[in-house]
Amino acid sequence: MNKMILLIALPLLAAFLIPVVAKFSATVSRLLGPVVLAFVLVFVALQWNVVGRDSFAIFLGGFLPPVGIVFYVDHFSLMFSAIIAAMLLVVWPWGQYTAIRQQSLYMLLAASSFGLVLSSDLFNLYVFYELLAVATYGLVANQPHKAAPAAALRYLFVSCAGSVMLLIGIGIIYTITGTLNIAHLATMIGKLHGLAGLSAFILIVVGAGVKAEMFPVNSWVPEVYGTSSKSLSALLAGLISKLAVVLILRVLLMLFQVDVVLDLLLVVGILGVLSGEMVAWRAKDVTRMLSFSSIAQLGLVFVALSLSGTIGLWLAVGLMLHHLLVKGGLFLLADSMPGSFNSLKGLARRSPILGAIFLIFIFSLLGIPPFPGFWIKLMLVINLAQQDDVLYQIAIGVVLFATVIEASYLFKLVRIMYQKNDENIIKPPQTSTSGMNLLYAKFFALIVVVSMPFVSPISDRLKDMSRQSVNAENYIETIMSQPKLGGQS
Amino acid sequence: MNLLDKLLIVSGLAFIAITALRNYRINDKLSPLWYLALTAILVLMSGVAYENTTIVSGLHYQILGFKLNWQFDSLSWFFAIITVVAALASSIFMSGDWARYYREKGGNYGMLQVALIANVLSMFLLLASSDLLTLFIGWEFVSWASFFMMILRPTSEAKKAAVKYAIYAMTGAMALLAAMVVIYTAGGSFEFKAVSIAFQGVSFLGQVILVVLLFAGFAIKMGLLPFHLWQAIAYAETPGPGAAFLGAISSRMGLFAIVLVIIKLVGLSNLAEMKFGANSINMQNIIAWIAALTTIIPTYIALQQHDAKRLLAWHGVGQGGYMLLGIMMFDSIGSAGGLMHVLNHASYQAALFLTVVAVVYRTGTSDLNRLGGLVTQMPLSFLVMLIGIIGLAGLPPMNGFVSKWMVYRSLLVNGQPLLFVAAVLGTLGTILSVYKLIHNTFLGQLRMEHREVREAPWSMMAPMLGLSVIVFITGFMPGLIMPWIASVQESVGLPAVEYTLGGIAFAKGGLDMIWVSGILFYGFGVGAVIFYLLGGKSKRVHQFDNYAGGHFLSSDVRYHYSNNFYPGLMHLIGTWYRGSFKWFEGVLVSIVSFISALFENMYRSRQPVILLVAVVLAGLYVVYKNYAGVVS
Repeated sequence: MNKMILLIALPLLAAFLIPVVAKFSATVSRLLGPVVLAFVLVFVALQWNVVGRDSFAIFLGGFLPPVGIVFYVDHFSLMFSAIIAAMLLVVWPWGQYTAIRQQSLYMLLAASSFGLVLSSDLFNLYVFYELLAVATYGLVANQPHKAAPAAALRYLFVSCAGSVMLLIGIGIIYTITGTLNIAHLATMIGKLHGLAGLSAFILIVVGAGVKAEMFPVNSWVPEVYGTSSKSLSALLAGLISKLAVVLILRVLLMLFQVDVVLDLLLVVGILGVLSGEMVAWRAKDVTRMLSFSSIAQLGLVFVALSLSGTIGLWLAVGLMLHHLLVKGGLFLLADSMPGSFNSLKGLARRSPILGAIFLIFIFSLLGIPPFPGFWIKLMLVINLAQQDDVLYQIAIGVVLFATVIEASYLFKLVRIMYQKNDENIIKPPQTSTSGMNLLYAKFFALIVVVSMPFVSPISDRLKDMSRQSVNAENYIETIMSQPKLGGQS
Repeated sequence: MNLLDKLLIVSGLAFIAITALRNYRINDKLSPLWYLALTAILVLMSGVAYENTTIVSGLHYQILGFKLNWQFDSLSWFFAIITVVAALASSIFMSGDWARYYREKGGNYGMLQVALIANVLSMFLLLASSDLLTLFIGWEFVSWASFFMMILRPTSEAKKAAVKYAIYAMTGAMALLAAMVVIYTAGGSFEFKAVSIAFQGVSFLGQVILVVLLFAGFAIKMGLLPFHLWQAIAYAETPGPGAAFLGAISSRMGLFAIVLVIIKLVGLSNLAEMKFGANSINMQNIIAWIAALTTIIPTYIALQQHDAKRLLAWHGVGQGGYMLLGIMMFDSIGSAGGLMHVLNHASYQAALFLTVVAVVYRTGTSDLNRLGGLVTQMPLSFLVMLIGIIGLAGLPPMNGFVSKWMVYRSLLVNGQPLLFVAAVLGTLGTILSVYKLIHNTFLGQLRMEHREVREAPWSMMAPMLGLSVIVFITGFMPGLIMPWIASVQESVGLPAVEYTLGGIAFAKGGLDMIWVSGILFYGFGVGAVIFYLLGGKSKRVHQFDNYAGGHFLSSDVRYHYSNNFYPGLMHLIGTWYRGSFKWFEGVLVSIVSFISALFENMYRSRQPVILLVAVVLAGLYVVYKNYAGVVS
């Protein structure tokens, strides 16, 4: 299905067209982006059944692997494409009439994100990852907050350093094997499982880890989220961090299921969970608290990834989707909250619905039954317990301890929000987006609530999806044994 | 559809109906009817207790390969009937004048009712759990339902207490979750029988960890030492009748879980055989001592309280110790005493709390320094409190005496003199502090501003009197409820107690409360005859028409305080109040705070690239250690 290329081509085209069209008609240029994204959503929905149980590959430019560009389409990549489109629609800067540049950047971000989830070749992954990074630099630097440029600059430094690591890692792999096609690499896994190959993987993980909020290369997180608009924070915390994880996932699942790697991921995950929750505990304003809580949740994803194979991917995807909903929702909700804790007094009394949504999100985040977060946490802990290594038992302890810390700061906030406060009511900042974002937050909360009875079917789907994605033989076969050009298997 | 289905469905419907109607006045009068219906269903279900059968609910739910279903046995039924009667009493109490009063004060009465039914529903779900997973889910529901009730009062102190409770509850839940996954890993399922299998499968250290995790999880809910700090304040700060309900039964869910999981599933012999060191310290002793210390320390904290609600709430923590202490003796009368004390405590604690709430309703305060002499104004409330404190202190002829007698007897028979002394010390503290309670509320000097105070209205008096009747009847004829307790004992694997209508048939000296009460009342009767018939002339005088120490007592001379109430005693034991547990709690928070500050510093570092290089180097080093020599 060559049509799949539209996923990248259309947003990219839109990104360049928006400024041009804006010269002629502001309305058309404003609608261009959402229309493209809506189209992508519909397109993905139509493709869903086409993919079925068999994934397929697309070869661009008529070059057969291992040369040429290959896209690999399975339910996993389709699901992420749909999520990217939906999430971008949610954070789309509708209200800001002047933000043509921002809209362009969002479309660029869309194009690179779709590319990232579809690529099955290390070099392409790198290219799209860089494109994504450039788009985020632009967005972060464009924020009205006066500290935004400084935050963006520091983010740029560390992110570039990460990209260099990533590139070195990819270079090493190329030197060892002479190819960058992941399927091709998967056929010569033996070559990679040596000192050089694993070193390359370490470099890739750390490099991509910068955006995946991995401990300890995530110090940009609080600063950037603190200066960005809540919509952008929702996007960065909810989605972009997950895309970096997807990059790591592709490489990890196909090439590096090695004990030492898994152990390293586990250690990084544990430290991420612990440090994130503990610093969030000291936070004095909402954004900072959410940022560090986000770091902790990404740590949890790394802990899940350290479980090998289907289970690991299944749990990681479950955690990511849950975090996307909950943390995305919380950031959107935070748009209607004044920043510091002191000014939050009595907020939930004045706006009960806001309080209720906040409670739904944090209950799910903490993993309290019957919210979906509970089942994910339960499955994670059960699967951690089934490993023999003592490191995994430590992980259980840390995850549970971190939950207690998490509960203590979240409920501290609940207490403040429900406190009686008649004097000095501080009005929340009425940004142009807060009304819309509150609506989206309600919608996210609704999804969390509605998904409660459907935990089993969702989890089964995710498991099937993970099985499909983890299946290396299928992956190699789909990509490497393509007799025809541009065809579908 | 069996009775358990009906119970769960009716309580679910009640929850929906009360939630939907919460802003309508009709709900005030309707909601007690729901509890009446639930009581009726439980009474119909009493076969579970008398014939010791199990009802399995037809309701079930399949999720992630786990099958959730619910069942009731005699243990569940015993706790459920206490729950529902406590809820019924509270809901009648708050349905009339109190609702108006609460609304006038700005409280959200509808939410209080929602919270009450949410508590009852979640407790039913917990009591009906049929495996560890449903137990955990029910457990969380109960925790958050009571959190919901605690947070209703808008004062910041109430909120602080509730949040503290939330943190403690979360800690307990996580300990429980950890224990669950250990069991799941070793036993392969969450079924209750997997607990025993898992127990045989793990090492000695694993067993100890498992018991510690389970016990800590449950003990936090019960407020056992060293987790006692949260409970009293949180309960005392709950709105009026809600406090009565929580104080009566909520924390006993911890005891239910201990009996179910640790006594029934882990097993008594396993606990007794879990020995440490060469001496005879085993898990049974340790838990028994925790229970004994729980009877002492919170009770003496209660002695220092100046607020009636807090005083009672601290006793609620302390009395939990007796229940566990009795059960930990593993014999027929000790465990019967412990289990019976659950019911007894619920009845008198609810009565006492409701009395205090009635006093607050009339006078506006529960501060013992601002009360006194109300016996002339509220004689029936005084009577209820008198009956309640006799029960709480464990004196005949009320029910508290029966259960405590059984516990003492068991301690003596089992050769535990030290534990016996501890239990007696606890009782001493109880007697002293309940005297302080009734003296400072109803006896002594009436304050000027309370001269117009009237007796509590009947909507409030009725449940109070009803509960005191239960306190007396179950004390006078414990045999009425003994069959339930014997069934519970059989179902959890304890030896069943032998009973008569009047008490206990026990080879080494039984108890017949009908005789004890008879002799007691005979004594009182003789005294009354001497006093009223043979005594000289008596004259009624007004309270202020009096003098003491050569001074006339008038209303402007205040001589009635609860401060420094037992100066002699405090001179002896005052230095023991050091707040060590509070200090320890503070230390834990400081440690967490310190480590967080370290992490925060790391995140503040202005040179993230250096961190990045450092982590790359560390990763490469690990790879090098593992793969040096393996050349691709």
